[in-house]
Parts: sequence; structure tokens; C-alpha cells
Amino acid sequence: MHEIRIGEDLRKKNEAIAEENRKLLAAHGIVTLNVMSAPGAGKTSLLIRTIPLLKERYTIGVIEGDIQTTTDAERIAALGVPAHQIETGGVCHLDAAMVHCALHQLDLDSIDFLFIENVGNLVCPAEFDLGENARVMLLSVSEGDDKPKKYPLMFRESRLLLLNKVDLLPYVSFDVAKARREAREINPKLDIIELSSTTGAGFELWVAWIDDFVAAARRR
Amino acid sequence: MHEASLMKNLLSIVDRTARGEGVGPVRMIRLKIGEMAGVNADALQFAFEVMARETAAAEAVLEIEKVPLMIRCTTCGAELRPGGFVFICTACGSSEIEILTGREMEVDYILVGDDAAGAGGPAAQE
Repeated sequence: MHEIRIGEDLRKKNEAIAEENRKLLAAHGIVTLNVMSAPGAGKTSLLIRTIPLLKERYTIGVIEGDIQTTTDAERIAALGVPAHQIETGGVCHLDAAMVHCALHQLDLDSIDFLFIENVGNLVCPAEFDLGENARVMLLSVSEGDDKPKKYPLMFRESRLLLLNKVDLLPYVSFDVAKARREAREINPKLDIIELSSTTGAGFELWVAWIDDFVAAARRR
Repeated sequence: MHEASLMKNLLSIVDRTARGEGVGPVRMIRLKIGEMAGVNADALQFAFEVMARETAAAEAVLEIEKVPLMIRCTTCGAELRPGGFVFICTACGSSEIEILTGREMEVDYILVGDDAAGAGGPAAQE
């Protein structure tokens, strides 16, 4: 027997395609956010409340990832923005190749801002770069304040944490200060905004964050 | 789950290497998995057993080495093994931290060929 050294990362192929996506998006002047959370944290509802607030300043496109169904893309398309649904057929996350195919289904010349809504899952999506400019994660207060400790990678890899459903805080035992503190231990540079897609609370901060982020991305 | 898609990548790397070298069967695959890699070693083993059958790795054993999370403070240079994924330097309090190890998902090496010595290794049991 003899040994053959390899030293190759299992994510290398995905990362190469993600880099292609990043170049393709940059060539079209598109700023992209990859939105991740557990199922039911409110990703689609967030986008539905957010898109009308951005529509005057950006031409928006959306890629929706789900294991099954096209209902999310239909809800987004009803807002009058192009939406492409990826049905992963059992796969628990989006990968760069899936997004690459979806990018060819969108008219990239006609958009300058892209939301990618990942498959609902707090583990796997964190390992797969899609070619986005940044990752935004949602944690709804009904999920519990122990999530940063339990799913550290997702918090480490995100630029912004949206604490969603804060209108439910009177009814659930969620310690906002603890969640904020533990999320920042994992990722000291994490921005955190509390909001509610039901009441609209906090949306002025979220929209301002997007505006700042897009401006900074375009200066680069 | 995504262990299956990662296993597909692993098997294609091993297949490509083994065929390229024109060597005998693959006997062992050594995989490094970091403490903070979002992947489960048991699920990887299971995916390997199911998916390796028709590949160059059909007779191989998958060994998974777990790599601890190690970080370095770029402010004071301290190297630490953080408890509970806390990315703050315990020496100086800085949050300027880089990850040294612990994110691996890497095929380290493979063992190939017939076990002429006959000692140890999976070939010895055949």
C-alpha cells in the first residue's frame, strides 16, 4: 500500500462556481443578499414587506429556494418583481450551481438588486457560498434565544442578524439581551436589527441598512 | 441532507486521483472534518457506505479525523482554543480574530494498492 496526498476541500467545486456567480453578478452591477433562517422564521414575509419599500430605488429580482412548491415565488411575483423558484427536490440548501442556473433564467440586465431566499434550515446553507455579497439571517423570537450557541456557524457567517417577530415578545420567553450577547460572541462584527414583518416595526432600520450596504458595495 | 452532496464530491476526488495514478484499489480515505464545519461525521459515514459501492473507493475504509477549532487574535497574536465558539480574545479582549483550524472538510490522503506486507490495513482481513 502507499499513500497519495490530496489535501482538497469538499467545498472547492461549490466555491469555484460561487466565484463565477460573483463575477457574473458584479459584471451586471447587481448587489446580492443571501437570506437564511430556519423554516418558518419569516423569510418570505420579510421580503414581501421589504420589496415595496425598496422598489423606487432598486430594480429587484428574487431567487426563491424551497425543497418543494412554487408558492413563495408566486407570492413574490405578485409584487411585480421577477422571481425564479428553485425546487431543490429534497436537498436541504441552495448551492452555487443551482443559483448559477437560476441566474440564467433572470434578465440580469434589468435588475440591480437580488434577494436569494435560501431553503429553511439553520445548518447546511451556512456551508454553501452562492456568490452573494453578504448573508443575512433571520431568527424569530418564537424559536428561542439559545440558537446562537446551538447553530454557531450560521451566526458566524452572517453580516446581519434580523431578530424577527418582536411583536410576539410579550408572549414568549425570549431574552433579547442574551441572544444579542451570544450572537456577538460568535461574530463580534454582526449587525443586529429587531423587527416585525407583521407590524412593520424596525423596518426603517433594515431598509437603511440595505441602502448603506448597497452604497458601500457599489463604491468597491 | 448535504452530507450526500459532499460525499459525491469526495468520491469524485478519490476516483479522479486513483484512476489518474493507475494504482490498485483504494484501501483507506482519510478525511479531516473541523469542529466548526457544518457537517455530521456519522451522516458522512452512512453516505459513504451507501454511495461508495460502484466507485474506486468501494473497498475502502473512511477514517474521519476531527480537527479542533483554533483561533488567532490578530491584535495581540495569542493562539487560543475557544470554548463555546466565543470569538473574543481571552488574552486582550480583542474581537479581531482569524480562524486557524476547525473549518476543514478536506480529503487529506488516500492509501492505495495491495497490502504486500499483509500486516494491518483492511486488505489483511480479506
